[in-house]
Amino acid sequence: MSAAKRVQQWATFARTWHIFDCKWQDPYDSANVIKKYLMGLHKPIYHPMNDSGDVVVCINSKEIALRGDEWRKRAYFHHTGYPGGASWTLAWELHNKDPTLIIKKAVYRSMKGNLQRRHTMQRLFIYPGEEVPHDVMQNVTNQIRQLRFVPTRLDHIPEEVTKTYPKVMDFPEDYVLK
Amino acid sequence: MAGLVRVGFSLTRNAIFSTSIRSIATTAQLNLKAIREQTEGSTLIIDGVTVPSPRTELLIRAEPPVQDTALSTSEKPPCYMCALGLDVKHTDVLILSQFVRTDGCMLPRRITGLCRRQQKKMGKLVAMAQKAGLMMNLTPANCKKDPTKRRDYKKFNTYFDERTIFMKKIPKPVDRFKR
Repeated sequence: MSAAKRVQQWATFARTWHIFDCKWQDPYDSANVIKKYLMGLHKPIYHPMNDSGDVVVCINSKEIALRGDEWRKRAYFHHTGYPGGASWTLAWELHNKDPTLIIKKAVYRSMKGNLQRRHTMQRLFIYPGEEVPHDVMQNVTNQIRQLRFVPTRLDHIPEEVTKTYPKVMDFPEDYVLK
Repeated sequence: MAGLVRVGFSLTRNAIFSTSIRSIATTAQLNLKAIREQTEGSTLIIDGVTVPSPRTELLIRAEPPVQDTALSTSEKPPCYMCALGLDVKHTDVLILSQFVRTDGCMLPRRITGLCRRQQKKMGKLVAMAQKAGLMMNLTPANCKKDPTKRRDYKKFNTYFDERTIFMKKIPKPVDRFKR
């Protein structure tokens, strides 16, 4: 095998490390994307029996966004196995306890329940804030595109922009300014 | 002292103007007005000053449609937001802030000049933006403006689906992973 071919072979089967910023992202939508990278579904050489999955590092998992009233409507079920051991935890309660769990459970549930799933989950790193350990961060070579655009707050937009931005509504003629 | 003067001023004004002959003007009372208060010694002068609107130059309107003879006379022209046909999201704070007073309340329809449907839509979008904490400087004072300082489920980031605005019943989100 020539040197160039050998390098191509290494590059094909090497694990790539991806980073994903969860800020203002829906965890249930982004789980479908993260899953593809974790399982290696984005690769042309994908086969369920070869080990071609990548590593995904999720940051800012504390700042995920849920739709509408899902923070208080979505419940996570757990049963201890004993009689009366069932418990339902609401999404906001779970997020208070551990801000990485919602995204972790979303990715876990997006995959089919087979023997491979727990090993695939080992390749997912989730961090609640921006800080990532150096030994993890030094491997990252790719960024996964966010699904939803991160909204800008009005008080963070400079005043010149708000003043010169095209206007839609004009005041009626005898309106008293306040 | 200033308060006393103001009370006296309002009393005399009411005594003079609350009769049946009131505000008859031969010319239109036009233009935007700003109320100015000045104190000169012991007298308080309050006057409404006509001010040019700062928005008129930046105003954007849809081009008027080509006039058809029969249809255009019977039908009402669409309001300016319907005519523009913009897809406004609740994250477009620069547009939504134009429909809001400085204290964060929605302007009424007689001032915004929208049609009923658009007024309802804009009101809901403004509420969405305020709940998501995107218009913190334009939110009523009795609200918790900063989401991080709210309690329980209100303190986390929330986004909204604009399609739900005119839905009679909001369907449950389909959970494909549910077993």
